[in-house]
This record gives sequence, C-alpha cells and structure tokens, in this order.
Amino acid sequence: MIQVLLRYVVLFTITLVVLCAMSFSLAYLFPGDVLENLTGISPQNEFQRAAIARQLGLEQNYFVQFYYYLERLLAGDWGYSSASGLPLLEEVSVALPATIELSTYAMFMAIVVGIPLGYYAGVKCYSTTDYTLNSLSITTYSFPVFWFALVLILVFSLQLDVAPISGRLSLLFDVESVTGFIMIDILLADNIDHGLAIRDALSHLFLPTVAIGAITTAAMVRITRRSVIDVMQRPYIAAARSRGLSSWQIFFRHVIRNALLPILPLMAIQITTLITNAMIVETLFSWPGIGNWLLQAIYQQDYPALRVGMLAVSALVVTLTIIVDLFNRLIDPSRDRFERGTI
Amino acid sequence: MAMLDIKNLTLEISEGDTTIKALDKVSLSVNSGEIRALVGESGSGKSLIVSAICGALPAKWKLTADRMSWNGENLLSMSTQQRREVMRRDIAVVFQNPQTSLDPSVTLGEQLEESIPEEFVKGQWFWQRAKHRKKIAISTMHKVGIKDHNTYLKSYPHQVPSDIGQKFMMAIALVAQPKLLIADDPTRGMEPTTKTQILKLLTRLNQTRALSVLFVSHDLLAIASMSHTMTVLYAGQTVESGKMKHIKKRPLHPYTKALLDSAPSFRKDLPPKSSLPTLKGSIPTLQHLPIGCRLGPRCPRAQRECVVTPSSRRIHDHIYSCHYPLHREVK
Ligand SMILES: Nc1ncnc2c1ncn2[C@@H]1O[C@H](COP(=O)(O)OP(=O)(O)OP(=O)(O)O)[C@@H](O)[C@H]1O
Ligand code: SF4
Ligand SMILES: [Mg+2]
Repeated sequence: MIQVLLRYVVLFTITLVVLCAMSFSLAYLFPGDVLENLTGISPQNEFQRAAIARQLGLEQNYFVQFYYYLERLLAGDWGYSSASGLPLLEEVSVALPATIELSTYAMFMAIVVGIPLGYYAGVKCYSTTDYTLNSLSITTYSFPVFWFALVLILVFSLQLDVAPISGRLSLLFDVESVTGFIMIDILLADNIDHGLAIRDALSHLFLPTVAIGAITTAAMVRITRRSVIDVMQRPYIAAARSRGLSSWQIFFRHVIRNALLPILPLMAIQITTLITNAMIVETLFSWPGIGNWLLQAIYQQDYPALRVGMLAVSALVVTLTIIVDLFNRLIDPSRDRFERGTI
Repeated sequence: MAMLDIKNLTLEISEGDTTIKALDKVSLSVNSGEIRALVGESGSGKSLIVSAICGALPAKWKLTADRMSWNGENLLSMSTQQRREVMRRDIAVVFQNPQTSLDPSVTLGEQLEESIPEEFVKGQWFWQRAKHRKKIAISTMHKVGIKDHNTYLKSYPHQVPSDIGQKFMMAIALVAQPKLLIADDPTRGMEPTTKTQILKLLTRLNQTRALSVLFVSHDLLAIASMSHTMTVLYAGQTVESGKMKHIKKRPLHPYTKALLDSAPSFRKDLPPKSSLPTLKGSIPTLQHLPIGCRLGPRCPRAQRECVVTPSSRRIHDHIYSCHYPLHREVK
C-alpha cells in the first residue's frame, strides 16, 4: 500500500519537474528578452537589469538558473504579466478555478447522465433502445464543440431567450472572489440575496456546461456500453447465470463493478478532452477562465503569462490523471497481480 | 426414468456464411443416482454440451433437439424464469476453467455465499442470517477440502492457487445441494492426493445423498473406477454409450476400443516396452469435418457405406453408432 503511494508520489514529482523544465525552456524559446520572459518586468536601466539578472542567476549555467526558477515557482513568485502588470499567481488563481468549476459541472453531467445511459444501453445491447442511444451518442460525439456551443447560444439565448449569452454572474450581484468558485463565493458573500444569486449563476452556467458536457457524456455512454457488453460476455457471468441468479442480482453483484473498472482510466483521458473543450467554449461565453485568459495573453504577446498558464494547465491535467489512476489502483483488487508479475 | 434426457441435440455454429454442426445428434441421459462419464478427445464438444445444458451458449448459435428435458419438463421451451429455477435448485455446474468462471472483483466468500439458496438460511434478522450463511459457507469449504477458510473467504480469485479455485467452484456448486452435478474436468491439473479427495467426495455424495453426476474428464482411470455409465463422444457425435462394465469388457465401436487400448491401465496382457496402439491421424477440426461417420478417415474398419452417417443402434441398454461394429465380422 505505502509502496504504491510512494510510487505515485515519485511519478507525480518527476512529471511536474519535467513540466517545469519545459516551461523554463519556453523563456528561451519565446522571442524577446529572456529576462523579461521570466519575470514580466522590463528593466528601466542597465543597473536594474544587472540586479535582476543576478537575482535570477542568469550569468550562471542553465541548471543553476532552473534551480532558481523552481525555487521561485515554489515560493509563489511566478512573475508579472507584461500586459496588466499584475502578479501572475494572482491572475491564474482567479482564472483557473473558473475553468475547474465549469469542467467539474460538465464532468458531473457526463457521469450522472452518461454512465447510467451507458449501462442501460449495454444491458439492452442490440435492441432498438440500444441502437437509438448509440446513434445519438455517436452524433453528439462528432459535434465540433465550437459549433455546438454556437448553436446552443443561437437557440437558447437568441431565439428562446432563456439563458444569458455571456459572463458568469449578473453585474447586479457584487460577489468578491475568495475561492474563485462562483457557487462557493456566492454562499460566502453576505450582503446579497443568495437564492437569487445562485439562480442567476446557474442560468449563466447552463449553456457552457451543456456545450462541454454533451460531448463527454456521449463519450461516456459509448465507453460504458462497450465495457458492459464485454463484461456480459465473460465466462463468470455465464457461470453466475447457471447458478440461477436473477438478471438483477447478476447486474448488481457482478456487472456494475467489473464494467466500471476499465472505464475509470478512460475517464481520465476524457478529463483532458474536457478541459480542452472548456477552454475553447470559455472564449465563446466570455467565461473568465484560463482558456479565455490564455487567449488574451496570446493576442497581447504576453509571454510570461503564456509560460505560467501552460504550466498551470498541464499541471492540473497531470494531477487529475494521476489521482484518477491512483483511485483506480486502490479499488481494483486484481491489479496487484500485474505489479507482482513485472520485473 | 432419466432425470436429464437429451436426444439428438444439434448445435449449429455459423461463422460468416458457413454453418458448422459442432454437435451432431448427440444423445445423453443421466438417471437419478448415477454417475455418468462423458469422454472424448479434446475438442470433441464436451464443454459445448455442458454449456448447452445450462443455457450458457450465445443466443446466435442454433440449438435444436428432439428432446431435452429435466424430470420430464422440456428445458428448451420453458420460460427463462422456470429455467433459472431449475438451475438454481436442481442442477449445479462446475465449468472447465475455474479461474475465468469466478468474478475477479468479488471475494470468494461472497461468491460462495450468494449461491446459498435463501431457504437454507435460518434466522429472522439479517445479522443472524449473515452468520448462518457464513456457517454454511465454511462447512461447505471444509467438505471440499479447503481447511484454511479464514484466509480464502476474504481472498480474490487471482490470489489463490488454481486447485483452491477448482475446489471453490466445487463448493459453489455443491452448496445449493443440487440433484445433478455437472463437473467439467474438475480435477484437471490437480495433484494425485487432491484429485483422490475430490473423486472420493463425489462418490460419497453419490452414495449418501443420491447425487447424480455428469462427469466430464480425460482421466480414464478415474472414470472407470467411479462411474456407472459412460458416453463416448467423437467430433461432436455420440459414438457409444452404455454401462461402464459392458463397455469396458466389450466395446462395440472402433473408436471406443482405440480409446480404451490407448490407456495402459486397461490392458492386462500388455507386454513390457510395447508401443501403445492408437488411431492414426488426429481429431478433425470443425472446419474440416468428413461427411458421414466422422471417424471415417481414421477408422481401421471403414468401408464404403461409412460416408452415410450411421444411425444409432441398441443392444439392451448399450447404444452405438457404427456400420461395422466390433461384434460383427467385416467381409
Ligand atoms: N466460442 C466458440 N466459437 C467457435 N467455436 C467454438 C467455440 N467454443 C468451442 N468451439 C469449438 O467447439 C469444439 C468443441 O469444443 P469444446 O470446448 O466443447 O471441446 P471439449 O471437448 O470440451 O475439449 P476439452 O477436453 O479440451 O475441454 C472445438 O472444436 C472448438 O473449436
Ligand atoms: S461407421 Fe464406419 S467409419 Fe464409422 S466407426 Fe463404424 S466402421 Fe468406422
Ligand atoms: Mg472442455
């Protein structure tokens, strides 16, 4: 057990260090001044420049520089945005939660809607219901997310006018950003009507969540269905049936869990797609998330912001993937075997 | 009357546009209280018969039979519900491959306990029932020869050695106190002492509880010592069936004779260091089945008429399917 945890921690650390190294190398790869790329400060005179360079260790070799870079990252000194002049840590910690929040709801939708539908389709495999569900999910899965979001805006905001086009919350509500998650911040704020504010936030959330979630939901339906069909064909299901267990007993005791185990790692892959989609959809809905923020940084050629933004997003994806994998490892008893077998 | 009565069971497997008769007019019956052996080379369709009896074949395979009944009730036409009830209460199966027939994500203990019929469990409250259920599970484990019940109840299938897995399959089958046990190669790869233990257990249950057994095995010696009757299968056709002692003394079908001759323990007159007589060639694959008698190309007695499938003939309760059986002179 401890060995397993240790292995994951080591894996995680190494991956993060590699990501940091890549982000560090970006400072050299981007056009412009390395010093400015690393800090986001343009020195006023030669004297100031020399002082900063000494602080960054620029006169020493790359490894020492990288060491200083890591030290600054850990200390929370991520540099300044060359466009706004604000500390990047602050900007990222406002933008990233907005994206995480959106992705969480979309993932939640995908799990709550997609997995049960997938189970249903799998159990009823090769029936009309199954074919209908399957074709629906293939269709949804093939939508380009950009186009799908535009269609949603067109239908629900412009034609039916049931949901706002953009933003996170109506400007009427003055909510201070504490955690960066709008729902929690609303609950924490004290001078507003919570019920109204939450309803307003939900109506803002609705379209982007559906736009991102629908595609992942479709993927979930397909993954789950395939997995259920595979499990239903295993000999132990036939054996359970020959013991006279009812279909319900077989489903609850032997199908659900066995079908879920292969889904989990695939879910981790979906998370990556989901976050990518979220970053695309954000720009359409002017959602103040990391995708929108990165895009602005690109427009303004804000290299320090790009360097940090990419590091933050990739660290997020790696963290989630490793957590899902660890979780999967903990609940799947038969994975011991492979570990003992390998040299 | 036979408990399990199967007549002319035919199984057609279609792959692409070719259809193959994997089982061709197989007849098999198990009487109450008897141990019937089902023998045949690897690939002769023994496991297919087992799956057909418990309804575990894929639905797209075409299964037909003149008769396939359990205690007079037609297994093929009964409702799913009734069929399940028969499988739950009366027939228990030990499949050939214990490791894949056990759910990898559920502990062995849970799988054993879920097979205990509700009516065996005493107690009013669920904790009393759980306790009693565990007691039944443990005593069944002891019966099949698993002593260390505490370790194995909590183990997952991949954590136990394969003979424990096989014994667990046996325990799961026996815990419902079935009337008929179908055991597909239950002792494969076991050590001789463990094997004897299992065979003794089956014999004892047969004598004390009148448990009928359909025993599928390669082990002719074990079969000969414990079974009452025997059915010999070759490439999906039944070639001979009858009382063990009759067949052993005087097989009528050339294949049965070759099978018995190839086992040294049946030959008392065997001179030392002589080579064992066997049929030339090997069992045909399903894609290359000869027409007529499927033994044809390998049969030492084959004649021109053998391209027509021989019908089954009967002398008392000894049934064989051959145009030129051993008791008749070949011209
Ligand atoms: N799922 C399947 N698809 C196609 N053919 C199959 C399938 N299962 C079995 N067969 C074929 O049916 C034939 C009989 O197989 P079966 O498993 O019943 O043999 P067996 O007599 O049990 O052999 P063994 O003694 O090795 O267990 C084999 O030729 C096999 O190739
Ligand atoms: S029918 Fe002919 S080929 Fe078949 S076993 Fe008898 S003699 Fe041999
Ligand atoms: Mg077999």
